[in-house]
Amino acid sequence: MTGNRDRGHEGLGRGDLDRRGLLKVAGGSLAALGLTAAGCGSGGGDGTVSLRYAWWGGEPRTVAIKKTIRLFEKKYPKIKIKPEFADYEAFWEKFQTQASGGNPPDVFQNAVGFLRKYDKRGVLMDLKSQASAGNLSLKNFRNGVLTAGQADGKQLGIPVGANTMALVIDLDVFKKAGVDPKAGWTWDEYWSALRKIHDTQKIAGDTGYFTVMYLYDLYLRQHGRAFYTDTDLGFTQDDLTQWWSDGYKRVKSGIVADPKKIEQVAPKSGLSAGLAAAEFTWDNFSVRYEGEGRSDYGLAPIPTTDGKHTGQYLGSLMLSAFSGTEHPKEAAQFIDFMVHDPEVGKIMGYDRGILATTEQYDAYKPTDRTSKGIAAFEEEVAKAGVLGKITPHPSGADVIEAAFLRIGKEVAQGKSRPSAAAQQFFGEAKAAFAA
Amino acid sequence: MTSATSPARPVARAARERRRTGSLAWHIGALAVLAVVLYPVVWVVGASFKPGKDIIGSLQLLPAHPVGDNFAGLADGISGISVGTFFANSLTYALLAVVGTVLSSSLTAYAFAKIRFAGRNLLFTLMIGTLLLPYHVLLIPQYVLFRRLELTDTLVPLVAGKFLATEAFFVFLMVQFMRGLPRELDEAARLDGCGHLRTYWSIVLPLSRPAVITSAIFTFINAWNDFMGPLIYLNTPSKYTVSLGLMMFRDQEGLSDYGGMIAMSMVALLPVVAFFLAFQRYLIDGMATSGLKG
Repeated sequence: MTGNRDRGHEGLGRGDLDRRGLLKVAGGSLAALGLTAAGCGSGGGDGTVSLRYAWWGGEPRTVAIKKTIRLFEKKYPKIKIKPEFADYEAFWEKFQTQASGGNPPDVFQNAVGFLRKYDKRGVLMDLKSQASAGNLSLKNFRNGVLTAGQADGKQLGIPVGANTMALVIDLDVFKKAGVDPKAGWTWDEYWSALRKIHDTQKIAGDTGYFTVMYLYDLYLRQHGRAFYTDTDLGFTQDDLTQWWSDGYKRVKSGIVADPKKIEQVAPKSGLSAGLAAAEFTWDNFSVRYEGEGRSDYGLAPIPTTDGKHTGQYLGSLMLSAFSGTEHPKEAAQFIDFMVHDPEVGKIMGYDRGILATTEQYDAYKPTDRTSKGIAAFEEEVAKAGVLGKITPHPSGADVIEAAFLRIGKEVAQGKSRPSAAAQQFFGEAKAAFAA
Repeated sequence: MTSATSPARPVARAARERRRTGSLAWHIGALAVLAVVLYPVVWVVGASFKPGKDIIGSLQLLPAHPVGDNFAGLADGISGISVGTFFANSLTYALLAVVGTVLSSSLTAYAFAKIRFAGRNLLFTLMIGTLLLPYHVLLIPQYVLFRRLELTDTLVPLVAGKFLATEAFFVFLMVQFMRGLPRELDEAARLDGCGHLRTYWSIVLPLSRPAVITSAIFTFINAWNDFMGPLIYLNTPSKYTVSLGLMMFRDQEGLSDYGGMIAMSMVALLPVVAFFLAFQRYLIDGMATSGLKG
């Protein structure tokens, strides 16, 4: 391109006009954008209010919740519920953005690991005030599960269902290997059971217990500690190094499944893929194994250290409300209906754990084998008197759980030494607490 | 030349032979690579006809007993919303994004490429600079802004930027293209009395077709596949796009419906493939010309 660069010719008048024309067009379209903004308020003229209700979960949960919303709207015609749903990861990503933007949903599903995190940011309503105002009942919660929604003296969430950690086992394999897990069995008995399964059935015993944060929590609780204190981790770097190097040894000896193979069948579980015969997880997640795998699956007791104490407690999904909601009373009434109404209990079943209140628990009689199994399991655990109190998680627990899984897997694959991994984990945990 | 042919013939034949073996090896190699590249595609197509239980953790390419359940299931919709709604939403979003990006980016590019004004280079540098900003940095401020304007849960936050030429990459692409257009053409237009808008609309824009089409295709694909934007801004499930609809098949706590998910992703591919096939001729043309002349 030779010299003679283009000279602007705005001076030609014509161009000037065009530019103004353009500005007009631009202004017009902005105005049009403004118009569409109208009509977004949440209160109608006739006293009708609308609440945004958000949850995560699969399609069955969504279908069930939508039914319960219709029930609620029938009983409270002045309250309209706007449902919002996503899968777990997307839900929290969206929630985080909305909470930062001051616009989280009025009522939403929540879990223990997020209570302090969002309380610290002032997002969660202390529902005690609504309970004392009579909009929400805190009575009739089973086995003390209400405490799962408490932290620092506040009631930040109302449990909808109780769940506890369990050992899901492949019943066929356990039977063929001649292993019969009994309540109160010890870790040594568990390891030798895995050894027996490995030797007689030619598959690994466990899918990878040592990457599960909540299991390590139980193990620590059996020793009078816990994964978290109020503000920090409840164990030392040396404890974790020990936990992970023991795990790695068991992978090497074959009683815990090869993590590479586990990775290959993901997102299917190594248990339902037939790579191993046992997996520690929350009891209400056990639905997936029947659907994914070809064997029969059941729940077995958590191994113990002293022959009695499993360290178990009831965890819970819960409903929380936004502290800045325009309609705190209606939000509380909605939560109250969702956790106490017997019809709601019948519709929801054990999708979010064993129903938390006696009204709902008594109303729902499970018919499928998995639900019956979960109910029987929690009944036994409650009867055995081993349920302890849940320790509220510090802010950052969600990030720490993910780090525990990720770094634990690296150890299992031999990519990093247990001591180095423990050091890395403590570094990441510190950052997560500070965030 | 004629005298050189006869002694050179055996040499030429040997060379041809060598070329043939070479080309055979080349083709076999290319086919092998193709097989590797195509394997996942074939797997997905095959998986969409497998029963849900057989999909995950299986390397098997084709289903042993093909079933149409996965596709039939889509007819019932997801969580009470018909699949057609998701497609209509995605299509609206993608088409608005294309129109917005093409119009605003080309107009902006015209200004940068054809008009000399004070601060042009600085502004151009700043615009390129916006390419370096990660999306997540802007996410929350943008959300707060649109929330204050009460525009969340509408398509406006997703497409407003596209109508304001915020897609710096496409502006850049078109600027480079327009700079390569012969200056004599717009000079001639000016002599005939055209203003900037007329020159832009009647001269520069038609000549920039390859760049425009390239931008249109990429914008369409980006918008169609966009997950984060719709996730953050759209609340009402009936306004969800296809990418959000796909997410509903996942269930971290229970049993994911992989059959439905894969069937829906197959269907979701169709518009993108159709759009691409319709315009790919221009796309390649556009790549070549804008690349050479820029």
